[in-house]
Amino acid sequence: MERALERPVRELAAPGLLTTLEISLLAWVLAVALGIVSGAMRTVPWKPLRALATFYVEFFRNVPLLVWMFFWYFGVPPLLPGGAREWLFNHGAEFWAGMFALGVYHGARMSEVIRAGILAIPRTQFEAAVAMGLTTFQVYRLVIVPIALRLIVPPATSESLNLLKNSSVALTISVAELTFQTRQIETYTAKAIEALTAGTVIYLVLCVGIAAIMARVERRFAIPGLIARGG
Amino acid sequence: MTRMRSVVVGLALALWLVPPAGAQPDTLAKIKETGVLTIGTRTGSPPFAYVNKNNEWVGFSIDLVEQLVKPSVEKAVGRAIKVEKKESTPPTRIPLLSSNAVDLIAGTMTDTPQRREVVDFSLTFFYTGAQFLVKKGSPIKGVNDLAGKRVAAQQGATNAKILREKYPQAQLREFPDQPAAFQALLQGQVDAYTNDGIQLYGLKAKAPKPDEWDVVGDFYSEEPYGMALRKGDAKFKAAVDAGLKNGFESGKYFEIYEKWFGPKGELPYPMTAQVKAYLLKQIGK
Repeated sequence: MERALERPVRELAAPGLLTTLEISLLAWVLAVALGIVSGAMRTVPWKPLRALATFYVEFFRNVPLLVWMFFWYFGVPPLLPGGAREWLFNHGAEFWAGMFALGVYHGARMSEVIRAGILAIPRTQFEAAVAMGLTTFQVYRLVIVPIALRLIVPPATSESLNLLKNSSVALTISVAELTFQTRQIETYTAKAIEALTAGTVIYLVLCVGIAAIMARVERRFAIPGLIARGG
Repeated sequence: MTRMRSVVVGLALALWLVPPAGAQPDTLAKIKETGVLTIGTRTGSPPFAYVNKNNEWVGFSIDLVEQLVKPSVEKAVGRAIKVEKKESTPPTRIPLLSSNAVDLIAGTMTDTPQRREVVDFSLTFFYTGAQFLVKKGSPIKGVNDLAGKRVAAQQGATNAKILREKYPQAQLREFPDQPAAFQALLQGQVDAYTNDGIQLYGLKAKAPKPDEWDVVGDFYSEEPYGMALRKGDAKFKAAVDAGLKNGFESGKYFEIYEKWFGPKGELPYPMTAQVKAYLLKQIGK
């Protein structure tokens, strides 16, 4: 590596990468939790729950992520009491706003993936579980959701990679993530093409790595007979 | 076969991203052929370059190009030319220049030693320094009152870098553009917004209630604005500099300054004797 680039990489790119991973991981946990709950809710035999989940999904996935970033950063804090607001502003409000924006937005998209997985399960599974004497909640918790999760690994992987890459949008509300920092490197060194290329390569390596791990997970958890592919 | 082809296409794409090394840029030849000088400038940095109420793309920097640089370049290429404008922001302007998308950056770009390693700069055409925009009555009076305070800056700007290096006691928040940073100041996400003084005056003048805001502090950085061009293009640089030099000598530059920054201008900002001396020193006066 060129000597001139050593410092910016150590002081900017490394913490930027860490922030990208932190915000993506937390947002991913939130998105998966919201996705499982709302995705399951959209298939239950009780209309108000279905309506609530449908509202969440359609509302959050049909507004651009950039707008959600501004909403969580500029729109939510004024609703908080003065003391809490000041505390938050001093303790990384932009990070948490970005995390919620990403998590809630991708939760709505993840929800559709999970719903698709649930709908792919033959109706007979559901009926068999009910016939065993399980309540609806137990049917979902013990049978339907676990099977659905094993079916949706490929689209869920795609969605997770999208989340990781979309975390770069948080730079608009001053979150110092990887893309933000590659731009900083440009400021420091004026080497724009090199900084952009480095950022591109880092995202690529991260995403390809995650995709490779998920491909293993997919093989490991595939259910013979339910997914038409050999291991 | 298909795989082979995709490898070749991939490589071609990768190479396309890397600018050809060693090729001497010759912007004048290109302008002579096309009859067009393409500049990269701003749309939201009044009064240097912005879209005004009548939806016209105007400003001090643009006037300098139209009235000083253009005639000089026309003389150098021996034909009439047209000036075309493209939007360029701090993160995009150097790539736009090195990819040949624009020929000259004329906006609010500070001439720095780091940037001089990749681009060349014309003579300095404006001189300012970083200050702070705060709510009236704020305890922040300058760069020494920043301990523990949240300060907004613009991403890719030189003053953010200075703050981070020399005044780490401030909590820096960097936004991609002026409106977002100002919104954060308006709502209290940050206590101050730092940028080049002249831009803060421009922002204050455009704010819904200008009286509620103050521009404070001595210049804690030097921000000489220059026009950036591709590195190593001596002939083009000579033509651009000749235009500016001629403007300084004939007084045309000061007329344009008066139009934008004079008492009746878009943003009254009288030129100090110190700045005038700095500008004239460049042409040996």
